[in-house]
Amino acid sequence: MSSSDAHALSPAHEADRQRHLAHHFDTMDTQEYAVRLAMWLFLGTEVLLFAGLFLGYTVYRHFYHETFHEASRTLSIVLGTTNTIVLITSSLTVALAYWAVKTGKNGLGAFLLVVTILCACGFLVIKGFEYHHKFEEGMLPGQFYHYAEITGPGANLYFTIYFLTTGLHAFHVIVGMSVLIWVLARLLKGHFSPGYYYPVELGALYWHLVDLVWIFLFPLLYLI
Amino acid sequence: MAQDAHPSPAAKDAPHAGGHGIGRYIAVWAILLVLTITTVATGRQDLGWVNLPLALTIACIKATLVVLFFMHMSESAGANRLVFVVSLVFVLVMIFGVFGDLWTRAPMTLPSGSPSTLGPEL
Repeated sequence: MSSSDAHALSPAHEADRQRHLAHHFDTMDTQEYAVRLAMWLFLGTEVLLFAGLFLGYTVYRHFYHETFHEASRTLSIVLGTTNTIVLITSSLTVALAYWAVKTGKNGLGAFLLVVTILCACGFLVIKGFEYHHKFEEGMLPGQFYHYAEITGPGANLYFTIYFLTTGLHAFHVIVGMSVLIWVLARLLKGHFSPGYYYPVELGALYWHLVDLVWIFLFPLLYLI
Repeated sequence: MAQDAHPSPAAKDAPHAGGHGIGRYIAVWAILLVLTITTVATGRQDLGWVNLPLALTIACIKATLVVLFFMHMSESAGANRLVFVVSLVFVLVMIFGVFGDLWTRAPMTLPSGSPSTLGPEL
């Protein structure tokens, strides 16, 4: 998907590709290599950021095993599963959008990006319902916790971790959505072609990371 | 294959330029859905110690599929793979560093009210 693709480009697309060469790079191959590497470095830091939170979860789950188990049963498995399916589907549509733009189908790419962004909105709305339910029941972090059904030590910790991890994840959903809206706007303005599409690719990579984090959050918080 | 209102010259070259078609993406999506249903179906049953390893194994398979095919790691440059794998190695270092602490703690050092004095519930 890197330099070898360039050989299949038409002269017009190759010209478009060369037009985006930044002055501090020798060739477009180098530039594309660099932007992808930089994105993966950034994604590596994101993995470590969430890994810290997962580790905090693991430590407290070890100390308060029974309470964490009990608390996880208060989460709605229907809403959690729906959100998982919504995110996986949005990951598919953004991967297809990338493929569409790369092969010159900008109209289809724009449609698929819109579907992805709608999925992101859907995810946040469902998450909002879940949060609302917890606010009403008093399943809140730290000292604000006042849910009467589960009172064992560590119960408030479960919900502290729940709100921290899902909250940070939801923030990533909002950022990813904003990036995709920006990519969509540029796509509609005709900025992308099979010669120049890596902003779509990088936006899609970020969106897949959001999906990746949820793949681990969902079983840990909702299922076990 | 999807229809396009404005076919461009590159559309003809799709098999070359795209590397592969949409079939693989949809296949990966279908597998992800099946794995999600599997993990939900088994997740809230009481399978004893099997629950957590099973859920984590399914999550790892799903994550691997997303990274390899949706994020194109399978056809990515070597340096990108190296960066991502090294970040995972550091995650493991962090996890096992902390587990070393948890496994070897004296009961007195556990937080008050914590019922568990055994190893981490993996």
